[in-house]
Amino acid sequence: MKLNERSLAFYATCDSPADKSGFLYKRGERHTAYHRRWFVLKGNMLFYFEERDSREPVGVIVLEGCNVELCDSAESFAFAIRFGGSKSRTYVLAADSQAAMESWVKSLSRASFDYMRLVVRELEKQLQEMSRGLPGGCGGSQDAPGPWKPMPPGLEQCRERLPALPAVPPKENGCAVWNNVPGPERPPDTSGCGGHDEEGAPRPPPPLPPRRRVSNGGTASAGPAVAPSPSTFCRLHEQYSREVARLRQDWQQKRRGSQP
Amino acid sequence: AVLKKRLVKLVVNFLFYFRTDEAEPIGALLLEHCKITKEEENVFSISFIEEPERKYCFECATEEQCQEWVEALRRASYEFLRRSLIFYRNEIQKMTGKDPLEQYGISEEARFQLGAHRQ
Repeated sequence: MKLNERSLAFYATCDSPADKSGFLYKRGERHTAYHRRWFVLKGNMLFYFEERDSREPVGVIVLEGCNVELCDSAESFAFAIRFGGSKSRTYVLAADSQAAMESWVKSLSRASFDYMRLVVRELEKQLQEMSRGLPGGCGGSQDAPGPWKPMPPGLEQCRERLPALPAVPPKENGCAVWNNVPGPERPPDTSGCGGHDEEGAPRPPPPLPPRRRVSNGGTASAGPAVAPSPSTFCRLHEQYSREVARLRQDWQQKRRGSQP
Repeated sequence: AVLKKRLVKLVVNFLFYFRTDEAEPIGALLLEHCKITKEEENVFSISFIEEPERKYCFECATEEQCQEWVEALRRASYEFLRRSLIFYRNEIQKMTGKDPLEQYGISEEARFQLGAHRQ
């Protein structure tokens, strides 16, 4: 099979730092004699050179789909790189010391592209989950379902930041108000901004958002020093909803206006 | 230059190519230190840093396919993956104050250090 060998050799010998390098003994294919070679690990490629200062590698082992394990050998500190498949060769290598052997086995077993990809995906997932969870809300609107959320992200943020108000029943979250077209202004009452009464039967409030633990280390959600009262929140809430409704009206008018 | 029809497979950081009726690849390109260039319509090329004039050209069935390949190939290198890992690690560390690689026992590895000089 053809390989862009020149590029391979370039990759092996260019300035980019190796992940690991050192002398190892390599057992021959047909004869069991061991040959001392200079090994260079870069990415998922294990190159080996005849000498440390050789200009070109003698060979390369691609570290994908293989197992790196200790093995029985007359040679001490030996380990093997085993590939699946009947036609595949097992590479037997030996180090100079226990420590060197352990270090190589560790590095080689984590060198594969597959392993890296796994770790990257995990981190990506963690980062996504964190962006969605943080009250900072930077990633909060990324997966907004539906065409248009009546509630601006800033409000969401505001709500999440409020520390728990003592003994506030769920309906005090001012749930139903923002689902309606803003009607007559509801004066804040002592029980908070319940979204019911005038219309008759109270609508069940949405579930309380899960309480987020404020993490240490200066992330965005340090709680405010003074807990704002329910009435302040309701007022803010009303303000925002009116503004949003106004914007929405404007937008709808513009749309109608621009239609032929 | 004659265009030959090939089955092309991207596996980790290698681009394998096959004759359409054969199971064994004819050859492979290691995708490190390479440049993916969008050429004319439906066409992209791969060239390597040590021999920039030599271009491996590929013609796709559609422009859309061509764009997909270009994007995939640009992300295909081990070095790209490494840079992504370092980037995500850094971001998570900034947000949480903790090193997310500790749980994998690889936080001390030289290949993941921030600011490591890499090409």
